[in-house]
Amino acid sequence: MLSTLIWFPVLGAIAIAVLPLRQLKLAALTISGIALLWTLWIAHQFNFTNPLLQFQEYLPWLETLGLNYQLGVDGLSLPLLMLNSLLTWIALYSSEEEIERPRLFYSLILLVSGAVAGAFLAQNLLLFFLCYEVELVPFYLLISIWGGEKRDYAAMKFLLYTALSGALILVAFLGLVWLQGADSFAYDALMGQSLPLWVQTVLLSLVLVGFGIKIPLVPLHTWLPDTYVAASTPVAILLGGVLAKLGAYGIFRFGLGLFPEAWATLAPGLATWATVSVLYGAMVAIAQKDIKRMVAYSSIGHMGYILLGGAALTALSLVGAVTQMVAHGLILAILFHLVGVIEAKVGTRDLDVLNGLMNPIRGLPMVSALLILGGMASAGIPGLVGFVSEFLVFQGSYSVFPLQTLLCVVGTGLTAVYFVILLNRTCFGKLDNAIAYFPKLEWRERVPALILALTILFLGIQPTWLVRWTESTTTAIVATVPPLTQPTIASVNRPVNSPQTVGWVVPDNSIK
Amino acid sequence: MADIVDIAVNAEGFKTLVTAVQVANLVETLKGSGPFTVFAPNDDAFAKLPPGTIQTLVQNVPQLARILTFHVVPGKWMKADLEQVDFVTSIEGSPIQINTSDGFEVKNATVLAADIAADNGVIHVLDRVILMG
Amino acid sequence: MTTATLPQNRIPPSTHEFADIIHRLEAGGSMLPDTPENLMQIIGIYKAYAVPMDFYWRNLLYIAERVFLNPLPAFKYFLPQEYLDLHNHYAGDDADIRIWRGEATAHPELLEFIQKGELKQKLPKLLHHLWHDRINMEFAEACLRAMFWHRGMGGQFDPYLDTDEYKANADRAIRAFFRGNPAMLGLYNLFPEMFLEQVRELSYYANLGLFWEVMAPVFFEMSDLYDEGKISTVPEAMNFLVNGIFAIAGRPIYHHVYIGDECYEIIPKSKGFMWLYEAALPYVEAVFYRTSPFRGTKSYNAQAKQIPTDQNEFHYGILYADVFPVGSAGIPPTLLMQDMLHFLPPYLLDYYSQYCRGEDDMLIQLGISFQRSMYNVTSAVIQALRTALLYPLDDTNSKHLMANRQFFEGQLDRFKRPEARLRDIQQQDYR
Repeated sequence: MLSTLIWFPVLGAIAIAVLPLRQLKLAALTISGIALLWTLWIAHQFNFTNPLLQFQEYLPWLETLGLNYQLGVDGLSLPLLMLNSLLTWIALYSSEEEIERPRLFYSLILLVSGAVAGAFLAQNLLLFFLCYEVELVPFYLLISIWGGEKRDYAAMKFLLYTALSGALILVAFLGLVWLQGADSFAYDALMGQSLPLWVQTVLLSLVLVGFGIKIPLVPLHTWLPDTYVAASTPVAILLGGVLAKLGAYGIFRFGLGLFPEAWATLAPGLATWATVSVLYGAMVAIAQKDIKRMVAYSSIGHMGYILLGGAALTALSLVGAVTQMVAHGLILAILFHLVGVIEAKVGTRDLDVLNGLMNPIRGLPMVSALLILGGMASAGIPGLVGFVSEFLVFQGSYSVFPLQTLLCVVGTGLTAVYFVILLNRTCFGKLDNAIAYFPKLEWRERVPALILALTILFLGIQPTWLVRWTESTTTAIVATVPPLTQPTIASVNRPVNSPQTVGWVVPDNSIK
Repeated sequence: MADIVDIAVNAEGFKTLVTAVQVANLVETLKGSGPFTVFAPNDDAFAKLPPGTIQTLVQNVPQLARILTFHVVPGKWMKADLEQVDFVTSIEGSPIQINTSDGFEVKNATVLAADIAADNGVIHVLDRVILMG
Repeated sequence: MTTATLPQNRIPPSTHEFADIIHRLEAGGSMLPDTPENLMQIIGIYKAYAVPMDFYWRNLLYIAERVFLNPLPAFKYFLPQEYLDLHNHYAGDDADIRIWRGEATAHPELLEFIQKGELKQKLPKLLHHLWHDRINMEFAEACLRAMFWHRGMGGQFDPYLDTDEYKANADRAIRAFFRGNPAMLGLYNLFPEMFLEQVRELSYYANLGLFWEVMAPVFFEMSDLYDEGKISTVPEAMNFLVNGIFAIAGRPIYHHVYIGDECYEIIPKSKGFMWLYEAALPYVEAVFYRTSPFRGTKSYNAQAKQIPTDQNEFHYGILYADVFPVGSAGIPPTLLMQDMLHFLPPYLLDYYSQYCRGEDDMLIQLGISFQRSMYNVTSAVIQALRTALLYPLDDTNSKHLMANRQFFEGQLDRFKRPEARLRDIQQQDYR
């Protein structure tokens, strides 16, 4: 059942590369659309109340290496799987009709999609690592072939950083297995076994740095602005929307999941690190003149909230962190998509040139309106999905890390600052007559943005649809963390259904 | 000597002007004691106006009278008098520029015959209908 | 109008910023370059403008003459049949001067639109009105308000509104209109100036209505002549306008009010007010040049200094307007462009669908064509003034030619302002 999510896109990629198909985009959309429907079907079958892995699959593979084909899905990975399937479809839909080397392009995107799904599903460390590395090369090609200016530089930088990230993670995984003397890389076999705290801490640090590059966290982020800006719109959507989530997912699954004690020890540092990322990302974004770069930096800031939620390690903050991954994926996708449309139409991303796009006939009124919606969602305006996740993170983290949380709230305020700058310059004001002969908006440019906007709005109004997948799993994760010496942390392991904090968001599981 | 109207009626080439004055009911006025200075456009001058101009004016007496009274100035202004001024004010109320530096021009019209004396004033013949503004 | 031997052969060439355009004017041309594309655009727009204009003038006269001071004029845009059947004085068999060879009553396309609207469905008038599927009379009102707001644009009409004679005439009409209505009469006694000001505005309704009554048949005839191949260049189109301006210059401007069976002459025809001096020239100055900035695009806040403190410095008319915000809510040009959109000739529909965003931005494309066409009308006004006040283009006296030159240069000085669109309309790709 779960294998379909990996192999269907991969086989589809091969089919597109090999078969003499004419309508390549349609074929790719169909394949990814079926994968999306399949994901939704799995979600439909998913049992919210079960915190453990579901739909598990096991196939012995290279048992001597401890590498087995083990798949499973839980509340942590299911929302991300859905995000991956949705954004793949969106990215394909938003790609140009007349793209160069279409066979390779669509194959690579589907390949990436399959590999990312594999990484989210893998319950074997080596299998995860394999999938994690497999998406690297397609992304490198996607950036270096179809990218914009400085694409070679950006692609190479991306490749080096991500390869380093993979290497660190592999070292950590090997270290964990060897030091424990385990004979398998199976995730469940490694869980719960304990090493000395200092070893755990070292291994966790490796994992954190490894995945921290991928997320990325300051100061490991320097590849991100170059890569995001150089990547074409569909690739940027996947990079920001999905790939970054792989980093965050990895930190939770393999950092927090495998080294809960060390995690708890490092938590204050992690929260501070998250806060630095949030503030740094926001302030650098304010200084940007290029709207795509601004969105890219906003991504750094927003990924910080995820780490904050993870560090606080309350049931609520963890739900918030997972929710934030999805929310951020959706919001970043719509922002990159719209920025891409603006660049395609106006021919520039320069804030000093852009103006008056809200103009009802000669401007890009729909793009502007959706950009405002995206900006509002990103700045955490209530009623949109960004608010739900940020509120959950702050609500869950405040009791543990009040100072860091408050500073992150300030970061949200700064988000509003740069989005007001962006929207004010881009959408409002007077349209420049000399340049205002933009081409018509096409459906491939409208539909993805509309779907994303509706999703953002719907999940903002009905957040239970977002949090219900995750809640029992995160509660279980919190329960695995042993009570710690730090009283602040111990005191926050309060029941999830504590009414005054979570009653309005977290669903009553008994309903389903 | 004859009055202004009689001179115009009896002279050659003022048929349009005379008709217009009659239609506009200005005969009595121009036969009055005055004295008036009349800038009289001849038939050629009226013919220079684009087609329809006169027709509309003849249909609308007050408007026609207004154009005609723009050609009439109170007092008896001989050419020698007009040389002393830059403009005179018409009965209509608008000013009429006078230019005698190079020939004898009234607004954008040239005086074809000056100082035709009448009992109750003087007539200067213009080659163009002058208009306010 | 004769095409002159080039005057710049007899006097030195102009050194003005717009020397090329001045030489064109001196050669009997228009400010708008003479290209077939320009001609097609402006003629098509004249036709599309004339149909709603046929409604504007009738409705303006209806409001000035019949609705008058109705305190709740909810139905003032519901034109009674009597006014749709009103004979235009410049079209039809009984015309004073037959400018258009068509009918004197409302244009057939207009009648069809009033019945079916944009929806192409026969619905009760009220529904069309509420759905805003109708002629945008608000645009006509914006124009007359611009004239009324600027006032003093020349002519004797405007000063007359402040005379005792006018006030006495208005007073009689007001008292007659509110006869048997003690509440309104009481208000009138308390605030007479307010009522008088309303009547002044209504006098401008009449003024603009009488002005446009002439322009609609002029534009219809131009469109017909173009279709027949009898207008084939931009200067020909301009000269038709020049001749039109002269032909109807003497048309009386007045304001009559009908209360019951009685006619109250607030501004009688006998005042001698003329179409050219009391309506056309003030209209061109107030609407083409000045008007006021579109609401929402400029701040009226004095500290913001976005609009000039001197009203004479206002230059927001169609000759200066930025047409690109057309489509924004609440700005008068949007209303006009939408009205014209309903009556575009097929050749213009084809033309617009080939450029820019095709149907999606037709409002702006036709707005730019409208701007071109109004530069041509302004050229006609300039040439007409030159004909009336100065010398023929083929005059042999070089002093006269120099006077013409100075006149043209003086007129074009007004387009030196950066926001003027004269430069833009020289290029075909401004659309």
